Amino acid sequence: MFNDSDCLKILDCAMSTTADFAEVFQEVRESKSVSMLNGQVIRAGTSYDSGTGIRLIAGTNCVYVYSSDNDIDVLLKLARDAASAVKGGNKTQIEELKELCKTSKARVQIDPMTVSKGDYYEFLKQASDYALGYDPLITQFAGSIASGKRTSKVINTRGVNTEDTTQRIRLSLETIATKDGEKQSGRVAPGTMRGYEFINEYPVLDKTKECCDTALRMVNAGYAPSGKMAVVLSNGFGGVIFHEACGHALEATSVGIKNSYFTDMLGQKIASNLVSARDNAHIDGEWGSYATDDEGNPSSDLLLIENGILKNYLVDELGSRRMNCKPTGCSRRQDYSYSPTSRMSNTYICNGESNPKDIISATEYGIYCTQMGGGSVDTSTGDFNFAVNEAFMIRNGKIAEPVRGATLIGKGQEILKNIDMVGNDLEMSAGMCGSMSGSVPVTVGQPTIRVSSILVGGREA
Amino acid sequence: MDIKKAEEFMTKLVKAGKEYGFEECEASFSAASSISMDILKGEVSNYENSATSTLSFRGLKNGQMGSCSTNRFDDESMEFLLKSAMENCDVLNDEDPQFIYCDENNKDLYYSQTTAAYEKNSYSSFRGLGLKLEKAILALDDRIDAVDYLSISCGRGPFLMINSKGLHSYRDSDGISLYAAARATDADGSVKSGGHYWVGKDIDDFDMDKFLDKFKDNLIGKMGAKSCKSGAYKVIFRNEAFQQFFSAFFGNFLATVMQRGLSLLAGREGEKIASDKLTLEEIPMFEKALTKIPFDDEGVLTTQKAIIDNGVFATALYDLKSANKAGIKSTGNGFRAGSAISEMPTNLVVRAGEKSLEELMGEAGDGIMLTDLSGLHAGVNSISGDFSLLCEGYLIENGKKGRPVEQITIAGNFYEIIKNIICVGNDIINIPAGEGEFFTPSVLVSQIAVSGDAE
Repeated sequence: MFNDSDCLKILDCAMSTTADFAEVFQEVRESKSVSMLNGQVIRAGTSYDSGTGIRLIAGTNCVYVYSSDNDIDVLLKLARDAASAVKGGNKTQIEELKELCKTSKARVQIDPMTVSKGDYYEFLKQASDYALGYDPLITQFAGSIASGKRTSKVINTRGVNTEDTTQRIRLSLETIATKDGEKQSGRVAPGTMRGYEFINEYPVLDKTKECCDTALRMVNAGYAPSGKMAVVLSNGFGGVIFHEACGHALEATSVGIKNSYFTDMLGQKIASNLVSARDNAHIDGEWGSYATDDEGNPSSDLLLIENGILKNYLVDELGSRRMNCKPTGCSRRQDYSYSPTSRMSNTYICNGESNPKDIISATEYGIYCTQMGGGSVDTSTGDFNFAVNEAFMIRNGKIAEPVRGATLIGKGQEILKNIDMVGNDLEMSAGMCGSMSGSVPVTVGQPTIRVSSILVGGREA
Repeated sequence: MDIKKAEEFMTKLVKAGKEYGFEECEASFSAASSISMDILKGEVSNYENSATSTLSFRGLKNGQMGSCSTNRFDDESMEFLLKSAMENCDVLNDEDPQFIYCDENNKDLYYSQTTAAYEKNSYSSFRGLGLKLEKAILALDDRIDAVDYLSISCGRGPFLMINSKGLHSYRDSDGISLYAAARATDADGSVKSGGHYWVGKDIDDFDMDKFLDKFKDNLIGKMGAKSCKSGAYKVIFRNEAFQQFFSAFFGNFLATVMQRGLSLLAGREGEKIASDKLTLEEIPMFEKALTKIPFDDEGVLTTQKAIIDNGVFATALYDLKSANKAGIKSTGNGFRAGSAISEMPTNLVVRAGEKSLEELMGEAGDGIMLTDLSGLHAGVNSISGDFSLLCEGYLIENGKKGRPVEQITIAGNFYEIIKNIICVGNDIINIPAGEGEFFTPSVLVSQIAVSGDAE
């Protein structure tokens, strides 16, 4: 792998017709994981994979070929096939290869790949024993530790020559409470680009207790009401709502083809004055970070919204051609089997000035969402939906009874304008984001915020 | 990697596995080649061509099955596979034994269903079809602004498995899929999006007129949609929506999920769990299915069976491990997810009733017909069966299709919904799901809570 002279041969071959740009992406990835259910290790996995993707661009059209076979003859044949599929374009010269630029945002003290699976087991076992002994209603514990390392190299016809390494580890703890045939769960799933020291330092019993408490509260909770009401979203994973309802609509994937409701709106007001937001891939050791993107561009700390005004889109190479602007270093892909495109990294609403307690006390009636599930959005219409995993009613400015089964629905462009309080307790939370270039690790984040009105889909009228 | 070379490597690997200390072991190889094309604004905006392969190894020691995978095929990777699998055996402490299997009477399993029609798939045939389709979609209605996604892809690949008990199993398949979505703007400036898909084995089977009819219904039919009043409604899940809904909870019918205490169906085989009207069968060799599946990834022959038989939960789906735990035979549903085995359905078929969709609406009188559900990966609690989902569809008024609705949620519980099915339609469609497809008609449910914000 990573043989420069082979890559240059591939570029030569790829540029033999009329493409104006070509790129070779190669990666090696390894992973190991242990999954536990009720104290038993039911799955232990190891993998080692590598592959090559070759991309040709002519104007705004793209040809992508990839293979898990890294043999140079196989790759040259693919490059020739790709070249023959190129239509249009203005053939350009291949620039001289720059010196290799090696980068990483991983901040690893103890390499998780060298820690034994026995240690992974011991760590999960203590959480499992604790959970199963916590309360008779806690009937299941499921936990896992998964670690992975990926080194990716990009060489292109503009002389770019980069190699970026990411190394991630993610812990998942889930407990299930059972009562009268009903089951409800509580879950945490932190992830990081730090090393195994993150696991060693993790307050595992406290967090397992939190999971148990959530599951118990939810199994005893009544159903959420339905209708329009004020919604307070707690800090951390509450940021998934911004990720879905706004972040995706700022990606060149949709803006570049005018499929987003934020198309042609730079400099315009798209959110309440209280909202500023960033997409920052630079944070050392953060789950969604990377130093160099999958097109070989340096990553960036991008201001998306400032006091409600739209400042920047997330733009990749292809998007930059469609939108006539510069790429922002946000091009990502799950692995070599995907052509890269504009994606988020660590995306968050910035701190505001309200004390989270004051946000609750200023709310006469509404719902307080403390744990969000996933969600999705249609960027052409703005329709979004989110599941709420744990929620409480707010009555007369006080947190009241827990409720379950709520979904938040609405239009992304409206909800941003309805944010009327922003807290000062910004927190980040790890997740996986699925889109056109596959599933990539992202962080969502926000302080506690209040939205004056969202439609809550619940079961009670 | 060609399959002959892979087989040589696997034979060596299985032999080396026994010498390495595994009691039994198994190697499997899957390869995939594909072509995919996106059309945008009268051009081929993206064209992809790929060839990938993966090798997985599983080894049994002291009742524990260690597994791992790679896409390298050299001596170094042989050492990696054996060593990693052994390490995984050492950390596993699953109390339920796993198996490497070979049926003495079915040592050589072979089923090829790739077709000569696959050769028609090419850059030029996809381009021709794609450009023609994009034009035709734009011509459907003046309000259509753009076809944002139009993707045609095809793939084929073999799956080969050999093990130390003498099993040699081979199957392959191929297929084409097409998806298109467009955006349209109403007179009041509101934007709607909608699309349609097609799957098949021969590009010449694509019926453009039929596709366009449905496409138009899925997009233009939504124009003017708005929310509706909250309340309890009679609800028709149109065929696609019922497939989406049922699939989100299908995991509850898998034996391993039941045995782990994560399904409320555990221990209820033989009990009535649904309306008399509902029969769901698994038919691995279903005549209308694009992919037929005569044996699973553990070397067990598949069989036709009812999962729900006139409302009675007839059987869960089992692989070798879960069947052993339950003291019965595997139902032939052990399929690979990565290098591990888990239960998956082959072709699922909801038995059709006698009424057309129009007759179902007549039966409903007043209610809502759901055509699309969103957020299924998030808005359902697959264990409790609780759901709260964003949906789109139409009002049903006086037994006829009324105006389109959007921005509504339905909420309830899966187990209550399947009890409340009062009528099953005859409008069966097929949607790729699991290892095969899900065939289902529309169904009418007596009552579901709907939240909307209309006065």
